[in-house]
Amino acid sequence: MACHCVVIVREAWDTRDLVGPILDETGNIKPGALQTRFEPEDLNALEAALRIKDAQGGKVAAVTVGAPRGVEVLRECLYRGADEAFQVDADPSTLDDRALSVLLAGAVRKLGAPDLVLTGTSVVDGENALLGALLAAELGWDHVAWVDAVESVGGGRAVVKRAIEMGYETVETLLPSVLSVGVALLEDDPRAPRPAKAMLKLKMKKVPIPAAAPSELGVADPMALVTTRVARREAVPARVIESRTVDAGDTAALKAMMAEVLKGT
Amino acid sequence: MAKIAVFAEIEDGVVHDISLQCLTQARALAGADGRVLAVTAGAGISEAAARLFGYGADEVHVADDKTLSGYLSRPFRTVLADWIAEQSPAVALFPATTLGLDLAASVAGARKCACALYADDVLRRAEGWLAKRIEFDRKVATYFSPAGDLALVAALRDGAAEPPAFEAGRTGAVTAIEVALDPQAMTAKVVQREVARKTVNLKGAKIIVAGGAGVGSRENFRLIRDLAAVLGAEIGATRAVVDAGWLPPDHQIGQTGATVRPEVYIACGISGAVQHRVGMMDSGKIVAINTDPNAPIFKIAHYRVVGDLKVVLPKLIEALKE
Repeated sequence: MACHCVVIVREAWDTRDLVGPILDETGNIKPGALQTRFEPEDLNALEAALRIKDAQGGKVAAVTVGAPRGVEVLRECLYRGADEAFQVDADPSTLDDRALSVLLAGAVRKLGAPDLVLTGTSVVDGENALLGALLAAELGWDHVAWVDAVESVGGGRAVVKRAIEMGYETVETLLPSVLSVGVALLEDDPRAPRPAKAMLKLKMKKVPIPAAAPSELGVADPMALVTTRVARREAVPARVIESRTVDAGDTAALKAMMAEVLKGT
Repeated sequence: MAKIAVFAEIEDGVVHDISLQCLTQARALAGADGRVLAVTAGAGISEAAARLFGYGADEVHVADDKTLSGYLSRPFRTVLADWIAEQSPAVALFPATTLGLDLAASVAGARKCACALYADDVLRRAEGWLAKRIEFDRKVATYFSPAGDLALVAALRDGAAEPPAFEAGRTGAVTAIEVALDPQAMTAKVVQREVARKTVNLKGAKIIVAGGAGVGSRENFRLIRDLAAVLGAEIGATRAVVDAGWLPPDHQIGQTGATVRPEVYIACGISGAVQHRVGMMDSGKIVAINTDPNAPIFKIAHYRVVGDLKVVLPKLIEALKE
């Protein structure tokens, strides 16, 4: 069965190993304090969709909200094998996941009738949080979160493996369905951009990416859809810990360290 | 008078620990004249749910129906969203478990209300209800507020509060929630379930020796076991180790595993991705052994040992045996 997938991708803050203050005096995020990256779990969602296409045909469309800030996530999807890309013209930094889910539901409907919508489950840190659940509720579809693998798609159903506390479950979900993909696919790396020639890449750079304004997706004012506001942000003082380096080759030093560590236990 | 709802996750007849922490938080938010409503959904759970009175709930509402025997987003969100519409609590707390996070977001989507996942705290201020989340590599506290007078749905992280003490004398009558689901929404199902039996007590452990991908192989894990044995410690692991099948999932520490605060945490071959760090960073003393001097784990370690654990661990074991 050919399967039509829509993948929701996001350009997210890269919150790994941040150095220096992030907030300015007014509690807003300092311009330039953070880089962005292709949300890694969204990359897994793309990989899951591409594997379904490889196995049984169909097409993969990538969708995002907002123009690129630093990383061109939609072009990246095209380089990796997505068939089409679509941009919703709104500023995600002024919206919450609920408003984004309504815009994205409009985009999904505009792209035809997909069998599956895939996106990343949230990372623990940062602004994105289980967008898939909100999108599924908005579309009135099934949703499965923490998906580690899509085992089969056919007969109006998808069979997926999801992570749960202390284990795994295999879930049969009714199509159309939204799948929020977790981190597990990271272990077998998402595919690299197509081995193709710089020429192809350059050609694609020129491909205009279709875009739609919120009004074309049935949303007059996206800001009116916001349900969760950021009231304020405060800097958290860095944890000051007494820390020292112990020479890995010095047996006596290691022994002294263990004596110190175990004192009082 | 504030009305605060708590979703109680019940598995094998036991209320999940983080749901109990939510009850403590709900009691504090509701105040003396407020009401705490516990709500749960599943199959054959009414008896376990009745215990929620003992944990401080003023009312216990239960959707007990065989169609809810496995967790699926659509039927659960339908039942819970209808219940929230009927009860209109000011705040609904969910445990930040894989189930609770998905259900919180699903219900917020269906009810079009405010939602904060992985909340570290929920507060009541003059300006209204706020959910606090520590984010951006634990450098920023963000306070979220509901737009207008919408209800606030928050999924509370493990450790946000202490679980309440159980009072056997506190009882009540469970209110049944009528389950009338569209049969079409009920055709999805959980076909297979593999859950590890809990064999380790990570939360109660004073000392934990944990291994990450840097351990390299199942065979090398023997070193972790040996060190744990001489220390009388429990064995922890990162998600990568569990996914590789070197240890069962009950050993996992971090975002999708346990949150622990032992007196001593020895991290071996663990790079320290934030998903792991959030589960162990409040440990008393952290020893990190890693070949990469730039591994993020060293930023939170009290003792930094830059070296190969295959060399360092035998030395530690030897020293401890003396």
